[in-house]
Amino acid sequence: MDERVLLVEDDASIREIAAIGLGRAGFRVTTAADGREGLLQFRRDPFDAVVLDVMLPLVDGFEVCRQIRRDSRVPIVMLTARTDTTDVVVGLELGADDYVMKPFEMPELVARIRAVLRRTTGEEPQTILTFGDLEIDPQGFTARKAGRDVPLTATEFRLLLELARRPGQVLTREVLLDRVWHYDYLGDSRLVDVAVQRLRAKVEDDPANPRLVKTVRGVGYRLEKA
Amino acid sequence: MPRDVVPASRLRTRMTVAFIIVAGASAAALAAGSYLLVRESRLDDSFSRAEQATRRNLALAAEVPISGGAPGLRGYVESFQRERGVPAVLLLGEEVIASNPTLDVAIPAELRSVVARGEIGFQRFEVDGTPQLVMGGRPDAGVDAELYFLFSEERLFEDLADLRNVLLLGLALVILVSGLAGWAVAGRTLQPVATASRAARSIAEGLLDTRLPVGGRDEFGSWASSFNDMAEALEAKISALTEARARERRFTSDVAHELRTPLTAIVSEASLLREHLDDMPPEARRPAELLVADVSRLRRLVEELMEISRLDAGRTSVRLEPVDLRSLLGGMLRARAWESRVALEADEAVLQTDRRRLERIVGNLVGNALEHGGRDVAVRAGRDGTGVFVEVSDRGRGIAPEHLGHLFERFYKADPARTGPGSGLGLNIALENARLLGGDIEVWSEPGEGTRFTLRIPVT
Repeated sequence: MDERVLLVEDDASIREIAAIGLGRAGFRVTTAADGREGLLQFRRDPFDAVVLDVMLPLVDGFEVCRQIRRDSRVPIVMLTARTDTTDVVVGLELGADDYVMKPFEMPELVARIRAVLRRTTGEEPQTILTFGDLEIDPQGFTARKAGRDVPLTATEFRLLLELARRPGQVLTREVLLDRVWHYDYLGDSRLVDVAVQRLRAKVEDDPANPRLVKTVRGVGYRLEKA
Repeated sequence: MPRDVVPASRLRTRMTVAFIIVAGASAAALAAGSYLLVRESRLDDSFSRAEQATRRNLALAAEVPISGGAPGLRGYVESFQRERGVPAVLLLGEEVIASNPTLDVAIPAELRSVVARGEIGFQRFEVDGTPQLVMGGRPDAGVDAELYFLFSEERLFEDLADLRNVLLLGLALVILVSGLAGWAVAGRTLQPVATASRAARSIAEGLLDTRLPVGGRDEFGSWASSFNDMAEALEAKISALTEARARERRFTSDVAHELRTPLTAIVSEASLLREHLDDMPPEARRPAELLVADVSRLRRLVEELMEISRLDAGRTSVRLEPVDLRSLLGGMLRARAWESRVALEADEAVLQTDRRRLERIVGNLVGNALEHGGRDVAVRAGRDGTGVFVEVSDRGRGIAPEHLGHLFERFYKADPARTGPGSGLGLNIALENARLLGGDIEVWSEPGEGTRFTLRIPVT
């Protein structure tokens, strides 16, 4: 394994035990105690995943998330202490891939990080998939629209690929939660809805009237066959 | 709202009717009295003028001998009408001589008997359809002749009829005016009552700052100020209570919140410790096991307190999505490792609801059944006439009837001696969540037989 994880958490006890837990799970952990330090660490070294507390001194978790997303598709897992559901949605809209509610047990956190790190969901098609002017390269883990690279996060790419593997077929939120986020039970369907919104903003000509990623009311989502 | 409008207008009607009765009765008495007075004096007046004329005519007649026979007498009788304008009738034995050939008058026997006694007699009756005062006497005491004069009272009775009509019209006007005035006055008088009734209603609806205008120093004015005092006291009391309740809720929420950070650390620490229980020296192992178990108990309690404080604050959102009942229940039992202990029998049913809340409700019910009921815990779910139901039953000891009504209260424990892992909040949280989903939970229990909780969620 040896994936590098940046853990940004202000509470010393939580930071230390989480670092121990993630270290035992096989990750190489770097810790930061506030948002500014977190951003400095992130810019200095490359990381495979970031675990980010929402309530951070100096620069809060949302701002850190926003800044990281400016130029990186690294998977981000938010630690949200507040039960305010808006926290979760704000984090996801800023581009976080998943969240873990405090308090959490170490296996939960480890499982969420492994899930966002898992790059593929099965045997990938070898060929480039084309939908109109959108090209998806499953091997290169990239997408191009009208010849230009689309900056998708890992989760957005997996979501797009999952839909693209079954064009025209409706995938329910539960199926998408299972295949993209690896929740086998009771994942938060807002993960799907927010990720679809973000994906549309990047691949649709007019995100308000999507022609590619369609909503099937009361069921789920579908990628049009072009 | 007919509830308050009807009595108000009924009272108004009653006041108006009283007004009409008082005004109408006084006006009627006044009218009747004046009519009778006028009638009396007019009739008296007419009588005395007739008597005067009769006496004078009889005195004139006495100077004329009656013996001349009918033809001569006729001219004589006619002269009364001609010269004095008074129709006359002379009765001479069986002979009737009238001053006017068309005059056909039968003098009543009563009147004749008075005249026969030598007095002047009179009677009022109608002749040819007009009211007449007929008065007569004997012109010559020696001769058996009676002379009667007819004084028309047609004008008099016409005048009286006019007077009566005017009075009746006046009475009707008085009644109408007093009715309108009564309605208006009653409306004005009752206005404070209507205002107060509206004010009371708006207080009942929660607008505690409602006050009555205090106008004037009458009874209504002092009533209004008493009402305002009452509203003031009520508002102060309720806002104090609300404040206290909000403080209490804030405190619960703050406590739970403050507990969260150390709890997060402890929970993570305990979850790592759990993996190393086997490596521990025997004397440390048992305490560590207990620590791990108690941490999860504490976690559950804090999380439930937080959920309760969120529910109390109304800071909860319901997220509707299509939920497959059977797969949700199966998933829930699998995720909590209850599959082997709980029998599941669910029909295919998809409903629009909040899956997390539904999962929470059924999870709490099943957890409760496993903890207290123990044996043969079963979940049955499906659709019925009104919506979707989930039934969680056990064949445990059952719950005594006196506890049944309190089961959903916070921290209520049917058996205080028993301390289980439960926080005492689980059923309350289940019920609050059920209500958020528009549903309800019923409980049936029979000591010795078992307990059954039924969650019902209507499907529209």
